[in-house]
Amino acid sequence: MTVGKRSDLEVHDFMTRVSGMGQHPKPWGKALTKAALEDERIVCLCADLAAPTETDYFRDHLPERFYQVGIAEANMIGMAAGMARTGDIAFVHSFCVFATKRCYDQISMQAAYPRQNVKIIGFIPGLSTYLGVTHQAIEDVAIMRALPNMVVLEPSGPEQFASAVQAALSVDGPVYLRMTSSFGAAHREIVEQPLEVGKGYLLRDGTDGVIIATGMMVAEALEAADRLVEKGVDVAVINMSSIKPLDEELILRMVRKTGTVVTAENHTIIGGLGSAVGDLLLETGNVCRFRRVGIADTFAEGGTTNFLFDKYGLRAANIVNAFVEARV
Amino acid sequence: MPSSDAAAGRQPAPRISDPEVLHTISQELRRDLIKMIAPIGQGYVQQGLGAADLFASLYFSEMRLDPDDPAWPDRDRFVLSTAHNSGIFYATLAKRGLIDAALIEGYCKDGSPLEINTSERLGPVIEGSFGSLGQGLSVAVGMACALKRKGSPARVYVVLGDGEIQEGQVWEATLAAAHFELDNLCLIVDLNNIQVEGHTDKVMRMEPVGEKWAAFGWHTINCDGNDHEELLTAFAKARATAGEPTCIVAKTLVGKGSPLLEGILAHNIKLDRQTTEQVLAELGDRTQ
Repeated sequence: MTVGKRSDLEVHDFMTRVSGMGQHPKPWGKALTKAALEDERIVCLCADLAAPTETDYFRDHLPERFYQVGIAEANMIGMAAGMARTGDIAFVHSFCVFATKRCYDQISMQAAYPRQNVKIIGFIPGLSTYLGVTHQAIEDVAIMRALPNMVVLEPSGPEQFASAVQAALSVDGPVYLRMTSSFGAAHREIVEQPLEVGKGYLLRDGTDGVIIATGMMVAEALEAADRLVEKGVDVAVINMSSIKPLDEELILRMVRKTGTVVTAENHTIIGGLGSAVGDLLLETGNVCRFRRVGIADTFAEGGTTNFLFDKYGLRAANIVNAFVEARV
Repeated sequence: MPSSDAAAGRQPAPRISDPEVLHTISQELRRDLIKMIAPIGQGYVQQGLGAADLFASLYFSEMRLDPDDPAWPDRDRFVLSTAHNSGIFYATLAKRGLIDAALIEGYCKDGSPLEINTSERLGPVIEGSFGSLGQGLSVAVGMACALKRKGSPARVYVVLGDGEIQEGQVWEATLAAAHFELDNLCLIVDLNNIQVEGHTDKVMRMEPVGEKWAAFGWHTINCDGNDHEELLTAFAKARATAGEPTCIVAKTLVGKGSPLLEGILAHNIKLDRQTTEQVLAELGDRTQ
């Protein structure tokens, strides 16, 4: 599996447009447009963020099925649900914070409870933005996981975007897709990878433990595994891009095989991937060495992604440390 | 979505235009409402009595629906954003043949799909879940956008309460409906001046309501929501309007039809047996 490393210049939001990163490849916008050309039920809504959510591509190719709704996320969810009730499959787009927290009751009542075909697409997850705490979604996975009927997916990066469109379409109901910006992918080739609902991907096998990562932390997890080899430790890495439902079979198999689990997520450690895995382990009687790497129940600040990942403990080094601690 | 059957007039609205007939229906709905709510003591009497004429004119004159096929794709949509005003809604659905009248017996009883806030468990006649106020207009806007794109002749009717319009989302949706030129959308603001804490203008001044929608670019009509002639005229004007959505600000009187109850701003009034009998008599119930 190819997971690109981040450039030092990278900031995972629209600020990057002025940083000379080159042509934006728009893998999400292209994949969604391609699907929409094949399925006339697909419509696209966007709350004033067409370029950073790559939906400018959809707008320019299928304008009759594109709705620019302005800065009004609550209304966007309601509109999407109304469209879904006439048979549309509505993909709504904003940043993760605004696509979830800003309109949570609307999502709950108009999309989740009635199982409408509303696909909620959020960009700039966790601490991947310069724009500060107002724009940092650190608890979105926790609240979206808590909704009955909601599927929660987080691709590791642009390599899973095309598959993510199909995964969202494979569900007859609401889906939350937590998307990493692909601006940084301009300088690298995107090798498409699978993403299916309820499936995790064993990117690397190992015998001494398993790192279960999602989203931007998958790259950190792979790097951590490399560093652990230098310490004589052989760990497996799972890309758990399906956070709800989890790939329970894969997790339990690797836990039983290795006995040590470290989860890694660009999200508060409360209620996200780590919590979901912890629940699973306890409820299945799999007592094991266990640590969660994530944002330690704190708000952050504005800054470059690398600065923030360093400061708030979302690095390969943090995963290595957690693993070593767990094994003591 | 193909709409040839609709164009051929598969299920035209009853289009009852005689105000006397509509008045008779409204009074029947009012009596059914009282008989439904009074025994269990849960539900919205005053608001239901006030809105009875709105429901009668929509369901027995204006909207195109098929009781034999409630999910007909080209049906007119009815979004009751004030989903708690369910008693009068259920009475209307039963009389129009859109739900089994026997279900009324279960109103607000455990396990019944006739919940106090209308539930989609009742089936396709409930077009959404709107007990959380302020959300219905957005869904109606989405429906209207999609139906327009598909070339459907269906129209979308949405009722909002005047307390509910204090929710900010209503104004997001109001902007969007004008922006997308949704002339297939007809909003009725049930201006009954009541919310939980009392008179709407004492809780949060909302007047002038019609001027607000006019300022947002809507075709706006102020009318007496208890006058069938005025309501039918307003609906006809809405249907004849191109390029912009219509907002009908329908002033209604809580408790309408029962002099004992008219004008009492009680959000959740409970009627004892004697009062119930008196109210039913005032509403022309000959069994009392």
